Amino acid sequence: MFKKILIANRGEIALRIIRACKELGVKTVAVYSTPDENASHTIFADESVCIGPPEGLKSYLNTTRVISAAEITGADAIHPGYGFLAENADFAEMCESIKLTFIGPKAEVIRKMGDKAVAKETMREAGVPGVPGSDGVLSSIDEAKRISKKIGYPVILKAVAGGGGKGMRIVHKEDDIEGSFMMASAEAETGFGNPDLYLEKYIENPRHIEFQILADQFGNVIQLGERECSIQRRHQKLIEEAPSPVVDEKLRKKMGIIAVNGAKFVNYESAGTIEFLLDPRGNFYFMEMNTRIQVEHPVTEMVYGVDLIKEQIRIAAGQKLKIRQEEMFPRGHSIECRINAEDPEKNFMPAPGEITNLHLPGGPGVRVDTHIYNAYKVPPYYDSLIAKLIVSARNRKDCISRLNRALDEFVVEGIKTTIPFHKFVINTPEFTSGNFDTHFIENIYEHAKNEMSVK
Amino acid sequence: MDIQEIKQLIKLVEKSDIGELEIVEEGRKIRISKTSRMDSKFAKSSNLMNPVYVQQQAPPQAGAPPVLAGTPEQTPSNSENEKNANLIEVRSPMVGTFYRAPAPDADTYVEVGSKVTPGSTLCIIEAMKLMNEIESEISGKIAKILVENTQPVEYDQVLFLIEKDG
Repeated sequence: MFKKILIANRGEIALRIIRACKELGVKTVAVYSTPDENASHTIFADESVCIGPPEGLKSYLNTTRVISAAEITGADAIHPGYGFLAENADFAEMCESIKLTFIGPKAEVIRKMGDKAVAKETMREAGVPGVPGSDGVLSSIDEAKRISKKIGYPVILKAVAGGGGKGMRIVHKEDDIEGSFMMASAEAETGFGNPDLYLEKYIENPRHIEFQILADQFGNVIQLGERECSIQRRHQKLIEEAPSPVVDEKLRKKMGIIAVNGAKFVNYESAGTIEFLLDPRGNFYFMEMNTRIQVEHPVTEMVYGVDLIKEQIRIAAGQKLKIRQEEMFPRGHSIECRINAEDPEKNFMPAPGEITNLHLPGGPGVRVDTHIYNAYKVPPYYDSLIAKLIVSARNRKDCISRLNRALDEFVVEGIKTTIPFHKFVINTPEFTSGNFDTHFIENIYEHAKNEMSVK
Repeated sequence: MDIQEIKQLIKLVEKSDIGELEIVEEGRKIRISKTSRMDSKFAKSSNLMNPVYVQQQAPPQAGAPPVLAGTPEQTPSNSENEKNANLIEVRSPMVGTFYRAPAPDADTYVEVGSKVTPGSTLCIIEAMKLMNEIESEISGKIAKILVENTQPVEYDQVLFLIEKDG
């Protein structure tokens, strides 16, 4: 086991990692930027090193400063958490070259899975089906027509160089494809300077279902079930749960085997997640692989009884996975709400500032992963996640009831938070029935705004 | 604002939790600043009572409306001796190991009393096997060296105090 782990992160995840290290008897080093001088992770770590000014590139994202901090404190491993350097293949490679253990998969795996096109192709070879579509750039409208006929409408045309919804067109029938192609291409040209398009089957009413993977250095790979992550806004997850209300045992087994095959194929090590899109007919398609621990890992922990961070550390330290696949089945239900320092009535505008009064919920089945404390000043420089409220119960109905109770007890004064928005969402008929997809939040936001300001 | 009013303000700041108070009024600006009592990085410096110093300066615009700004927390200690606003801190720009000399048997770059000019090398900070020379930005004399040879240093850690020329 490692003697000392440096946590290359901040906020709630840094504290989470420190907790796992403490339970394993490993010493901890926190790194921090100047505004984080009084942050929880610096207080609870055994040692702390100031590594830079507020800017990420000069602090948490700075590979040189982070590694220097490991050097001067004699750390033998680095846990990157999520975000920041967690999926930086160069950083993982630097650590490997100086025999500093990077707690995660090998650099080449990070690199491979980090390239969306390469990942998709690799997974296809592994028998993990992706969204059908064109093989790269479309050479002509005729090619688009041909492929669409083969995979079936509706399809979506996407700009190769694109993003943010620009240069995208959903096409429902063959008559429309020529016009849509020309418009999307023109938009892409003006928006990104590149008119090239590719094509994918358009999944209607998709749900984002991801599988948790644990793999050791001896080729043992297991899956710890799925997480339902369709409650998102602008591709940011807001509420996650395990298990998914629409995944039954049969589908879980089917998807689980495929997820494990994918991870085995790339010789995966450590914790990882394979993301799928699930359509209403039970077809699922590979989206991407996240080669890190995820924000929403707690819901899996609650329902499978596994400490994923401790397992990551054990795996990195060369221990064999003691958990057997046969032992892994979900017990009960767990839901997580990401509480952000944002104003839900003002389009989720970030709301940093000083917390003047804090009361965290407690009681049975309530877990709060947070770094905030009374009088804590939420800095404006980093992401707005201030707490994760994780609730578990015997079934989904009880879980929602408990979540309502816990949200009511969660008092944060001095700054705006998304607590009222969560309260609204979990009481909608769509959420309570489990009948929602990834478009749900966008669709209800206007209605939600009115409801929240009335209260 | 007359001297009596300024005296009252100083008393107020001293007694309160205010760390810094700045008043701009009728073409004049007054800033009253309180340095903090404790800073573990200055464990070696003398145990002083809270120094308070007053700085008067003309603001860029005359006739600006009165503005009161106060910060509720202590500002970090800026120098160990309030009479010497000429003492400039040299802070580490990086994380690494501090060395006084280019090699173990070589002469140190500076000692207390050494004269430095902009560009004078003060020390080396080593990070990831690379030696980085830290240079002075000002002309002056080394007043204090706050770190020992081979000590690990973090970002923003005060390494030297330089008494500025002029």
